[in-house]
Amino acid sequence: MLSPKERLLAKLTGEKTDRPPVICTGGMMNAAIIDIMKTTGHTLPAAHSDAALMADLAGDVYNSTGFENIGIPFCLTVEAEVLGSEVNYGTLACEPKITKEIFPSAGVVETREIDAMLNDGRIGTIVEAAGILAKRYPDVPIIGNLTGPVSTAASLVDPTTLLKEYRKRPADCHRVMDYVTELLIGFACRLVENGATLIAIGDPTATGEILGPKMFHDFAVPYLNRIIAALHYRNIPVIVHICGNMNTVRPQIPEIGANAISTDALVNLRQLKADYPQLTTMGNVSTFLLELGTAAQVAEQTGRLVADGVDIISPACGLSTSTSLELIRAMTGMVKAGCHA
Amino acid sequence: MAEDKDELLRELSDAVVDMDEDRAVTAAQAVITSGIDAYEGIEKGLADGMERAGQLFEEEEYFIPELLICSDAMYAGLEVLKPHLKVNPEGEKAKIVIGVVEGDTHDIGKNIVKIMLETAGYELIDLGRDVPPADFVRKAIEVEAKIIAAGTLMTTTMDGMGEIISILERENKRQLFQVIVGGGPISQAFAEKIGADAYAKNATDAVRKVRRLLEPDTVV
Repeated sequence: MLSPKERLLAKLTGEKTDRPPVICTGGMMNAAIIDIMKTTGHTLPAAHSDAALMADLAGDVYNSTGFENIGIPFCLTVEAEVLGSEVNYGTLACEPKITKEIFPSAGVVETREIDAMLNDGRIGTIVEAAGILAKRYPDVPIIGNLTGPVSTAASLVDPTTLLKEYRKRPADCHRVMDYVTELLIGFACRLVENGATLIAIGDPTATGEILGPKMFHDFAVPYLNRIIAALHYRNIPVIVHICGNMNTVRPQIPEIGANAISTDALVNLRQLKADYPQLTTMGNVSTFLLELGTAAQVAEQTGRLVADGVDIISPACGLSTSTSLELIRAMTGMVKAGCHA
Repeated sequence: MAEDKDELLRELSDAVVDMDEDRAVTAAQAVITSGIDAYEGIEKGLADGMERAGQLFEEEEYFIPELLICSDAMYAGLEVLKPHLKVNPEGEKAKIVIGVVEGDTHDIGKNIVKIMLETAGYELIDLGRDVPPADFVRKAIEVEAKIIAAGTLMTTTMDGMGEIISILERENKRQLFQVIVGGGPISQAFAEKIGADAYAKNATDAVRKVRRLLEPDTVV
């Protein structure tokens, strides 16, 4: 019998396993739902900036949902905050958000020393939480989550301006992308050094719908790949989540060197696998269904994904904090039961 | 003269489609100096260009960066033409209150929808991003809007849209406003579930749906 850690790592290195792992990475796709927090009393927003509390909450999510991983942090704002943008930590039910990007344009971004930033903001908190969790749950994969480079850049520079500048001032934009990518690599390495098993990157601004194929090619793929290469050099697997329908950027997906590609509910993963057999696919149980559906519907959709040969089963997108634990368990239970069927 | 006029309007439209702010300004100035009505310049030049850009967006030739730069060119031309407008060529414009629901600070999509609706001749009252449901309702009542347009990119904030409709119902104001919703995780099914009047899948669809809501008899 494989441990959750062995199963996920085997899957990510292309080995066969008894059944797909069922995970929820954390970060933008975290399962810190109100149901769980109310029961255990380990709550957000306090857990965003307290390592012990963050570890406790991440452990609660693992113990109550059936997901076969632990994921931290619970937001997409750690990097933005370190870069100097204004962040509101939100509430129990509402995730943190960037209230103001610090720079109005890519042309005026002032860079700071990466090493200094790695000791700043909540980076130490997340890294410490990874250490606590790695000791507490040696058989469970600990996933450290990064905000992807395009989304991080769009939380450093006003996003409407940045998107125009991707076209009008590409050199300035590449300078900003270099800067945030180096920060992300530094952050990821700290996480890994302190016990994170793997890294997941969610980059919700880097979609085909927003960027189009050319900008995705110029500004998303190379920087994602730079982070992946830095982690592969340390033998650390990487999962990349792509938001949106992927239609216009589909041919570029195999160019992303991740160990698994996670997608939104709109993407047919069986077809994606048929088109690109080399991909390890991950997804994509509808978060809409997980909030508003029934246990039977969730189980049916999950079962279909397993039958379709999706390599790793996971929610398709960020979960609403009002998602019910019962429906999450219907999803994880279905994957685990499938093993004996 | 007629040919010149068509040519000038076409140049104005092309400048928008070609994302060329300077050309849009030059063409707008030429429109004025050659005595063409400023309103015609807006409608057959700038708005036409934005509509073509929207078409290219729908065909996935243009994406958000391109559409934003087109709109910069459009607004640059508009600045030149606006002072020359005769007052209220068409009477009062229908008002639309627009915003991104609370919890979500992504407003690129909303900005695009706003641009396209403004171009289509509506008056937009922009509440910005991260807007509490009650603020949509308060503002809509205050400005006597016809439409409330709410967007979100995040699954985690979708509930705020249903809340807008619940507040309207609680305050017996539901019949005063039409509610249109859109954004990444939103679907027709979700719009129906929360009782919204329409769902727009993108900015050009928003214009179509708003037209249908406000002028049900004139739009096919």
